[in-house]
Amino acid sequence: MLQLKMAKQETKTAEKYFDLVIIGGGPAGLTAGIYAGRARLKTVIIEEMIAGGQSATTELLENYPGFKDGVGGVELAMAMEEQAKRFGTEVIYDRVASVKLSGDEKEVRLANSVIKAKAVIIASGASPRRINAEGADKFHGKGISYCATCDGALFRDKRIVIVGAGNSAIEEGIFMQRFTGDITFVQDLPYLTAEKILQERIKSHPQTKFYLGTLIKSINGTDRVESVTLKVAKDGSEMTIPADGVFVYIGYTPKTDFLKDEVKLNGQGYIITDEDLKTNIDGVYAAGDVRVKEFRQVITAAADGAVAAHSVEKYLENK
Amino acid sequence: MGLLSNEDKDYLKGLFTGMKRDVNILLFTTEEKNFCHFCDDIKAILEELSSLSDRIKIKEHSFEKDPKTAEEYGVKRGPAIVLMSDKDLGVKYYGIPAGYEFSSLVEDIVDIGNDTISVDESLVEQVKAIDKPVHIQVFVTHTCPYCPPAVRTAHKFAMLNGNIKADMIDSNTFYDYANSYGVQGVPRVVINEKHHFEGALPEEEYLRQILNAIM
Repeated sequence: MLQLKMAKQETKTAEKYFDLVIIGGGPAGLTAGIYAGRARLKTVIIEEMIAGGQSATTELLENYPGFKDGVGGVELAMAMEEQAKRFGTEVIYDRVASVKLSGDEKEVRLANSVIKAKAVIIASGASPRRINAEGADKFHGKGISYCATCDGALFRDKRIVIVGAGNSAIEEGIFMQRFTGDITFVQDLPYLTAEKILQERIKSHPQTKFYLGTLIKSINGTDRVESVTLKVAKDGSEMTIPADGVFVYIGYTPKTDFLKDEVKLNGQGYIITDEDLKTNIDGVYAAGDVRVKEFRQVITAAADGAVAAHSVEKYLENK
Repeated sequence: MGLLSNEDKDYLKGLFTGMKRDVNILLFTTEEKNFCHFCDDIKAILEELSSLSDRIKIKEHSFEKDPKTAEEYGVKRGPAIVLMSDKDLGVKYYGIPAGYEFSSLVEDIVDIGNDTISVDESLVEQVKAIDKPVHIQVFVTHTCPYCPPAVRTAHKFAMLNGNIKADMIDSNTFYDYANSYGVQGVPRVVINEKHHFEGALPEEEYLRQILNAIM
C-alpha cells in the first residue's frame, strides 16, 4: 500500500510564553499535550525529529489496546499529534539546545529562540544503546544498524545477525523475514526475553537460528561486514559465523544530555521521579522512557503523559 | 480514490496558497519495467498535488524516448522527478517520493513556490560561495524517518547555488545502484562520488562535509 507521510509544520508562533512546555513528541509527550490542552493550559511540544519518537520506527504495534489488528507506529503517533493540536497544543519541530529549570520561569533554548514556561514535562525518551564490540565503530551505518524499518530493505537475501532477544529484537526479526530467511539471534542471557507470543511466532520459522548465553566479541570485515565472532558466556569458547548485517536491540540510553546537572538522574542516566512524576525540581516533571521505570512501552509512556499533565495542572492551580 | 485524505488536501491547499511563482515538475518515466513499478503511483502523487494549486505544473517525459530533454536536465535514470522554478535548480528525486519522503517533496515545492531560502541565515553566504561543482546523492528508504532532513538539506543547498546538484535516491527502486555505493544504512549521503557520510547531520556539519569533499 502506498503511504504518504507528512509532518505538518505549523507556522511558528511569535508567542514564546507558555504555561507548559513539553520536551519530546513521542507517546508520552503527545498524550501530555492532549491532557494539558483539554485542561486549557497554553502548551507547546518541542520535537526534534518526528512525532512518535521511537514508536514511529515500529512497523506495527500489536499490543496497544483498541486496535485488534494492530496499528502502525507512525499512524498512531500522527493521530496523537492531531488529537493534541485539536485541543490547542502547539507542536514545534526543533532541537532543544539547553534548559534552565530552576525558579518560577523555566527556559527551553532552541537553535534560534527561547521558550519560557511555568512548568516543564521532560518526555525526551531514549535512543537505542550502541553495541560495544570490536569493529562496532568501524561498521556503524555500514552494516550495523539500529533501525530495521529504515535499513532492512538494503539487506535482501543477506545473512543477518540480530543482537538481543527482547520484544524489539524479535519484532524487528519478524519484520526482517520479509527480506531474508537467514536470520540469527544472539542474546547474552540464556533465554529469550520477548513476549511469549512473539517467541512462538519467531520459532515457527525453523530456519531461524539462536545463540543464547552468547556475546558478540567482534564484528569483522574489510570494507563490509563479513562475519561476527561470538563468545559463549559460560565457557568462553568462541566461534565465527558469516554475516552481512548486524541489527542491534540491546536496550536504550536515555536522552538527557541537554539537561546538564539540574535534574536528578539515576546511575544509568534516567530521570528520578515521584509517583506524580515530579522530578527534584518544582514545576518540572518527567514522563515516558526517559524516567526510571520497569516497563517501557507505548502504553506506559502514554499513561505517564496523562499523569504528568494532571500533576502540572494541579501544580499550576496551587501556585 | 485519491491518495490523500480530504483533511490532508485542505492542509496542503492552505500551504500552497499564495505561492509567488510556478513550480514546474518534470516527470521522467522509463520503459524499464523493473524500475517503473511505481510510475503510476508517482504520477498519481504529482497529479494530486497539482490539483491543489494552479502554481504546480507537471510535464511528463520518457527517459528513453526523449533523451535530449533527459540530458538537458542531467537526468541519469528513470523514474526521476525534476523540481524547478522557471529554471533548473538541481533538485531531483530518483524513484518514488512516498512514505516519509512525501514530506520532503511538499516542503521543496513550498520553498520553490515561495522563493524562500530555508538554509540557516548564518550559513547562506558560505553555501552561495561554493564555486566548484557539487553533486550530492542522498540514499533513502521510504520507511526511514531520519532521511527527509538529509534530503531536504541537500535540496535547500542546491536551491541556493547553481553549482550544487542534489538527488534523492530511493534505495528500494535502485537497489543495485545503492549496492554499488555500498549503501547499508540510510540516509547515506554521497558527495562527488568519493566522499560520504551516514545519518542526518545538522546543516552546519553537512556543509562542512561538502567543503571537505571539494577541497
